[in-house]
Amino acid sequence: METTETPDAELVARTQAGDARAFDELVVRFSPRLYGLVYNMTSNHEDTNDLLQDIFAKAYRSIKGFQGKSSFYTWMHSIAVNMAINFLKKRNRRMTMSLDDVDNGIMNDPDFIEATSDRDPRHQANLGELQKKLNEAMMKLSHQHRAVVTMFDIQGMPHAEIAKIMKTSEGTVRSRLFYAHRQLQSHLQEFIST
Amino acid sequence: MTPEENLLKLLRLKRHEQPPPGYFDDFVAEFRDRQRAELMQLSLREIIWERICDFLQPFQVPRLAYATVAAVAVAASVAIIARPSPQLSGGLASTRQPMSLTAPQPVMIGNSVPVSMASTSSPSVHYVLPTQPANYASPRSF
Repeated sequence: METTETPDAELVARTQAGDARAFDELVVRFSPRLYGLVYNMTSNHEDTNDLLQDIFAKAYRSIKGFQGKSSFYTWMHSIAVNMAINFLKKRNRRMTMSLDDVDNGIMNDPDFIEATSDRDPRHQANLGELQKKLNEAMMKLSHQHRAVVTMFDIQGMPHAEIAKIMKTSEGTVRSRLFYAHRQLQSHLQEFIST
Repeated sequence: MTPEENLLKLLRLKRHEQPPPGYFDDFVAEFRDRQRAELMQLSLREIIWERICDFLQPFQVPRLAYATVAAVAVAASVAIIARPSPQLSGGLASTRQPMSLTAPQPVMIGNSVPVSMASTSSPSVHYVLPTQPANYASPRSF
């Protein structure tokens, strides 16, 4: 039996009217995606968990002021990006990356298998090393550049959406991506050189 | 494959970085618990401050500007409250003159002019108030 998903706008309206369960549904709907966004900006699962809780708490407190000028999706992502950037400024590069919990999903990814079992001995990096290098390279980017790379390259969001979330122009988004890619290429040279 | 394409392929690997299984099942419950705890802890000042920040957020005001505006508002309020009104201060200042029973001095209160200052013939000090009596009619007799 096919079930139709309640639109975000309806859940938002119900939350604004005082229905806390409607907001719970929004939390369930948005938490996996926002988790990815925050995690790729912080590179730490514990920080991500705390921050994600704060993000939803903030959204819940502010939802009465949400007027629907943008989609709820954009609004939630704006809150998440702003809070993540503020958090990173405060954390001030307390680089405690939880790289011990390498995810199982990555092991079966054909791209990863190809990247780690390359013919060149220099490419014989193990799973942990590659993930560590990736995270280190990401953490060397500025907060704004990292946010753009996360949303575009990792989460696959279009430029226009990222521009709305970051309250900037599409040109700025493209420019940030360009410089971020150049910087990442220099940090990950041993893995991406042909 | 170009270095750019290789980089994008590597970045896509990060999509697999997910929390432990079952994490999202517990997330909502944890969110509710935390929310209740936070609501109990939030002070009125914190709530008001957050509301102000939320209100100003669409204008893209830098965060430091909130504090500056608040500081200026407080300073302006203090300055307005602390500054005495010129009318009141004139009256109060003149009443602080030393008093003497033998040589009474005319006393200024507000804008009222003592008659003694207008005509020197009258030795006693009395005042002409700018207000009119409510009624000149004689009281009703029964």
